[in-house]
Amino acid sequence: MINLTVNEKPIELPDGGTVLDAIHLAGFNVPTLCHHPKLTPYGSCRLCLVEIEGAKTLMPSCTVPAAEGMKVHTDTEKTKSARTFILSMLFSERNHFCMYCQATDGDCDLQTAAYDEGINHWTITPAYKPFYVDTSHPDFILDNNRCILCRRCVRTCSELVGNNTLGLEHRGSASILIADNGIPLGESSCISCGNCVEICPTGALYDRRSMYQGRETDLTRTETVCMDCSLGCTRVVKTRDNRLVRIDSKFDDLFLGGLLCEKGRYAPLKEARQRIEKPLIRRNGELQPIAWDSALACIATQLKAYGGDEISAYISGRLPMDTLQGFKSFFEDGFNIDRVGLFGHDESAAVSIELAKEFGAFESTLDALEDADAAVVLGADLTKDHQVAGFMIKRKSREHFSLVEVSRDENKLGQNFIKRLIRVGDDYDEIIDLLICYKANGACREAEQIIQAQGLTAHRANLLLDNLADWQKPVFIIGKDYAKLSNLESLRKTIRFAMEIGAKVIILKGDTNSFAASLLGIELNPEYKATKVAVYAMADGHACGHALEALKKSEFKIVHSAYFNEFTDAADLVLPCKTWAEIEGYYLSTDGRLQFQNKALAAAEGQHSIYDVLNFMAERTGFSLKQDWQTVLAQKVSAIIKA
Amino acid sequence: MAKPKVASDWLAGCAGCHMSFLDMDERIIELTKLVDLRATPITDLKEPDEDGVTVGILEGGISNSYNEEVAIRMRERSKILIALGDCAVFGGVPAMRNFVGADEALKRAYIESESTDESGKIPDDPELSTTQHVRPVSDVVKVDVFLPGCAPSADAIFYVLSELAQGRMPETNQLTNDWH
Repeated sequence: MINLTVNEKPIELPDGGTVLDAIHLAGFNVPTLCHHPKLTPYGSCRLCLVEIEGAKTLMPSCTVPAAEGMKVHTDTEKTKSARTFILSMLFSERNHFCMYCQATDGDCDLQTAAYDEGINHWTITPAYKPFYVDTSHPDFILDNNRCILCRRCVRTCSELVGNNTLGLEHRGSASILIADNGIPLGESSCISCGNCVEICPTGALYDRRSMYQGRETDLTRTETVCMDCSLGCTRVVKTRDNRLVRIDSKFDDLFLGGLLCEKGRYAPLKEARQRIEKPLIRRNGELQPIAWDSALACIATQLKAYGGDEISAYISGRLPMDTLQGFKSFFEDGFNIDRVGLFGHDESAAVSIELAKEFGAFESTLDALEDADAAVVLGADLTKDHQVAGFMIKRKSREHFSLVEVSRDENKLGQNFIKRLIRVGDDYDEIIDLLICYKANGACREAEQIIQAQGLTAHRANLLLDNLADWQKPVFIIGKDYAKLSNLESLRKTIRFAMEIGAKVIILKGDTNSFAASLLGIELNPEYKATKVAVYAMADGHACGHALEALKKSEFKIVHSAYFNEFTDAADLVLPCKTWAEIEGYYLSTDGRLQFQNKALAAAEGQHSIYDVLNFMAERTGFSLKQDWQTVLAQKVSAIIKA
Repeated sequence: MAKPKVASDWLAGCAGCHMSFLDMDERIIELTKLVDLRATPITDLKEPDEDGVTVGILEGGISNSYNEEVAIRMRERSKILIALGDCAVFGGVPAMRNFVGADEALKRAYIESESTDESGKIPDDPELSTTQHVRPVSDVVKVDVFLPGCAPSADAIFYVLSELAQGRMPETNQLTNDWH
């Protein structure tokens, strides 16, 4: 512990803290611009200068380590005049005219800092030197004229996302923010995650869709669960007058660093499909509006006429727990159909359940990635799906980290790692055999043979494998291409090896709620069959061509979808439904965290959720929906995932 | 004691700050009980009294030699000078042209604009004032009170004028320091 005083107040700070930490701990504050608690202190803006007794000059509190006996003063004449001077310099350097900037009134840290210092005019004439504006990116704009060179975006891109796209070119006041080697952002290695835009303290990086649509204080903020994979990142939905304006991450979230990927942040804003407004029935080959009552009566008649094999029912994994269980109990208990299916081909959740029968609670939570020193990624492309987990790995390229990856398609996950063994294809077994062999015997003939047979770069492979014995906290990440029921034997071998070397295991599980669906007994990767009555509860999701073929061959086709698509084109009866943002409910993440999704938007009149419709139907057919998922899940999750 | 005299004028601005002044609605009547409103661009009297006023108000930045003359005259004739709005305080929207230069800006406006045909030409009448690099009022004359904002709210303007009318210097606070 370090003992020091801040503004005469004595405090005790844990070792390794900075003067800024001490100031905060003592309950004081100094303004900062370049500093962000999630990033390595950098000290470029100098706004946090404080007086430390005995020091020759004012010191930036964010980068100076706290030391025993320090006497820190934050609010002296000297610090105040330094802050005013620094802000005047910042304002004079580029175009910081607030009246035509979209980040003002609380949305700009620079402006707020000026207000706090009581600055009401500029004492230094601006330089009026124009800088490069990059408008090549489809989602955001980079305006160097608004930049204060704090490098928060650069550090976010490398330290948090691990993408290393953003950097600075030139020196001093001529410095500009660039992508890669100075190419337009839209043509660069940028993966459009938008985290840099969110962390920008001024209006240098701003969102195209939400610009000039209102200040933060004009927007309504709703915390929801991201629907675009099963990691369960929190997305903060910003709306105004019931209109989706922007999606932000929850930066102060401990989980996965509170980041979002391109899909999570922008997919809902790019939604271009046409919304279905009212129930439609096919008459003389054309879909025509029908009242809800008549539509429900029609479904009841169809369902009552059949049962068992004659009815098929499939549901989207993007729906909350109550809907999934309600759907299952309605069709399985009410109409004796064998098993309702989940759209998609991802079997990983079912594989998890199967493996847990043998290994017990063998899976770890996602925070295992935080302090991992090695990762074995099998059958997952973390640059496409579950991207935020990919960020957690990519940013480790700055550290002493080993990466083994077997992926169906080539990707850039491991491009910055020195110790890496990357295999494109599906030779999971061979790579695991190599790891097992190397672990047991070290560099040996057998291992060499596998390396040669696999066509691996011997130098790279050896660099990684020689290090295998030193792995302290390895993590195995298994994705959908490997986590298949047909691979169970191989998976058992892999898990056994992972457990032997003390590795943590994470199986990434498909759609938002597909883990819960599987635990509730809904069939994953179902075989689509043509039946007398087919019910497709698609909500706002998609389904594959096999599903469409089976639907077309079925006799009476009911499609429950928020948007028109090729399924509604083939349907006999189309029911509209609410989208993800218009419903609330519980979702289970890939690592067993139960999360509540709040409703961010109010649906138009006449729109019902799939759960509402199931209840209407249950009422009509004199049947009650089972709602005991909470007790069912609590036991099952802890049998698979270690707390 | 005679009521303090107040005069105003506008330079390179949009008149929005004066509109915001009018936005104080019926409080203007209250204000006229405290002050003697003299020359403004929206009253009959256009030039500030030769024998001086207590408070002079300037909206807009200095973009040409005429603005400069008006600003100097207002300074000479007023005891307390207020820079009203972001253009007067910082240069504001007209100062955008400083990034490209006045020549480029004039070319874009008079020759290259979409609504201009071949006859477009930059006005060059010798009677016209000469274009300058746009500056805040405080770069030309001394300013006593800065009231930034685009536009400053009617509340802020009312607060500043009523404080001055009662012989106090207005404070810089959340109300008066809101640049937008």
